[in-house]
Amino acid sequence: MRRPMYEGPQKGPLRASRVSTLCLGLSVVLLLTVVFSLMTGTASVTWSQWWRLLTGNADASDPSRLVILKIRLPRVILAGLSGFALSLGGVVFQALLRNPLADPFILGVSSGSAFGAVVGIMLGFSYNLGIPVMAFGGALLTMYVVLFIGQKKMGMESSTILLSGVIINAFFTAIIMFFIATATDDRLHSMLFWLYGDLSQSRFAESALTGPAVLAGFVILYCFARHLNVMTAGEDAALHLGVDVRKAKLVCFLVVSLVVGLVVAFSGLIGFVGLVIPHLARMAFGSDHRLLMPVSALGGAIFLIAADTLARTVISPSELPVGVITAFLGAPFFIYLLRKRGSRWTGS
Amino acid sequence: MDRILILKGVGYRYGSHWALRGISLEIGAGELVGVLGPNGSGKTTLIKIADRILEPPEGTVLLRGQPIQSYKRTRLAREVAMVPQENHFQFAFSSLEVVLMGRFPRMGLLQFEGEQDLAVAFEAMEATHCAELAQRPIDQLSGGEKQRVMIARALAQEPKLILLDEPTSFLDLRFKKEIFELLSSLKKERGLSLLTVSHDIDLSARYCDRIVLLDRGNIYAEGRPGEVLTAQNVEAVYGCPVTVDKNPATGSPRVSIV
Repeated sequence: MRRPMYEGPQKGPLRASRVSTLCLGLSVVLLLTVVFSLMTGTASVTWSQWWRLLTGNADASDPSRLVILKIRLPRVILAGLSGFALSLGGVVFQALLRNPLADPFILGVSSGSAFGAVVGIMLGFSYNLGIPVMAFGGALLTMYVVLFIGQKKMGMESSTILLSGVIINAFFTAIIMFFIATATDDRLHSMLFWLYGDLSQSRFAESALTGPAVLAGFVILYCFARHLNVMTAGEDAALHLGVDVRKAKLVCFLVVSLVVGLVVAFSGLIGFVGLVIPHLARMAFGSDHRLLMPVSALGGAIFLIAADTLARTVISPSELPVGVITAFLGAPFFIYLLRKRGSRWTGS
Repeated sequence: MDRILILKGVGYRYGSHWALRGISLEIGAGELVGVLGPNGSGKTTLIKIADRILEPPEGTVLLRGQPIQSYKRTRLAREVAMVPQENHFQFAFSSLEVVLMGRFPRMGLLQFEGEQDLAVAFEAMEATHCAELAQRPIDQLSGGEKQRVMIARALAQEPKLILLDEPTSFLDLRFKKEIFELLSSLKKERGLSLLTVSHDIDLSARYCDRIVLLDRGNIYAEGRPGEVLTAQNVEAVYGCPVTVDKNPATGSPRVSIV
């Protein structure tokens, strides 16, 4: 078979080896970010304390042990999982809606699940089961409403869906503010938590629940990576190529709602992660979802851990909610994209 | 002749409006069939039924002897490929990546394209004379180039039947001819069956083995181009006075608006 000369090593079709190499590299960066984040903070931990901690010689009462294992570590893990899930959700939504401006926050899925979680708290549900289920329910409800509004006879109208997402987002945010304003209940552990996203109250139990769910969600969504590639060319085009579009859409929307709902239940409304990170990934690595999905998810984890580290150190000893940082970085980026690209993404 | 696609008494309606009624049609192996008709005569509906984008409430559609509903989507895409009228790529894929999407129905769930898939894709791109476009982003191609890439994608599916929805509608004279030449050569060299829907009466007349003339959802006439494209038929269907003579260069029917 004659091989044309334009098949460069980089520009050829995606190889499994490229995906695994990049993921490995990003995992190393992620690990370094985790370590850096654990070492950074208001309370200073000396090297000798670190040594004792790593060799398992630290006393149970050692304050540095408490700071690192009980405060920083759960927070870093939850930040990583949240960034992972939100960014993954962004990639999938952008492909399904064929619009580069879609992400769980803008589509209202995040605020829908925050709404569900707040209702769960009001009703006195437990943190381990009731509230995550409510958050998932809120996310699903929002997804359903947004898709219902945007549904046309001949398939989805992506701009209508985005607009209805923005409106639903505003609506649920208003309801959450109403709850916050009227509730004096101490079960609401932080007012800002729901509106700006806050990871300061993270506990291991939350990650133990969220972690496996997020990873399982990733595995399921990754099975649809090639479906998503084809679906970016339109639903009819995907049908022509043999994609069961209804099934693919249903599974993807469901899984993203579940994963995002869970994460939001514990971290609040963190915006723009699902927008900024997939975009950067697209710019750097192209549009193939078999690469884009893992790269964005890992990138989201790295980004949110870094952003949260910034949030708890920038005005030390006080803290900012991490959502402030992501919005502060993300909103200008969003405007830039809107101005530069409109609702179309052509990369290159 | 071996028949690839058979439609028997097919009807389809949007709401209460019947877009197609009582359509019976056969497409043989290695046949290039052109569907002509004015706007709203049901051409696009017909082609969508042939790819089961639309499922007709009336009549039966047989693909290689089996009801088309019995095919799973991936299996259907291994038999029938579609070249849609318009393509909007929202994200930056290279032409090669787009052609490789044609391998979707022939790959496993988590598979990456292998040597075989690449070979098929490059071969398809060479057959449609677009191999030199492999690395170009699909959204930066001209209409003619894009259309050739889309036909290459259809070929990469290795189908028996290719459906084309107005393949020449946005193209200038030279590209129109090129596309029909290409279709004709695919038919001859690979024994593919092709069904095109077109507004291009003269080119369809010249290249198609058979013409189906649609009129408000019914087949008005069907047969060899010379039999179907008479002044009387074309006037009746398009509602526009025409003369038909022979193209002096090719001998195929030539329709001129009076």
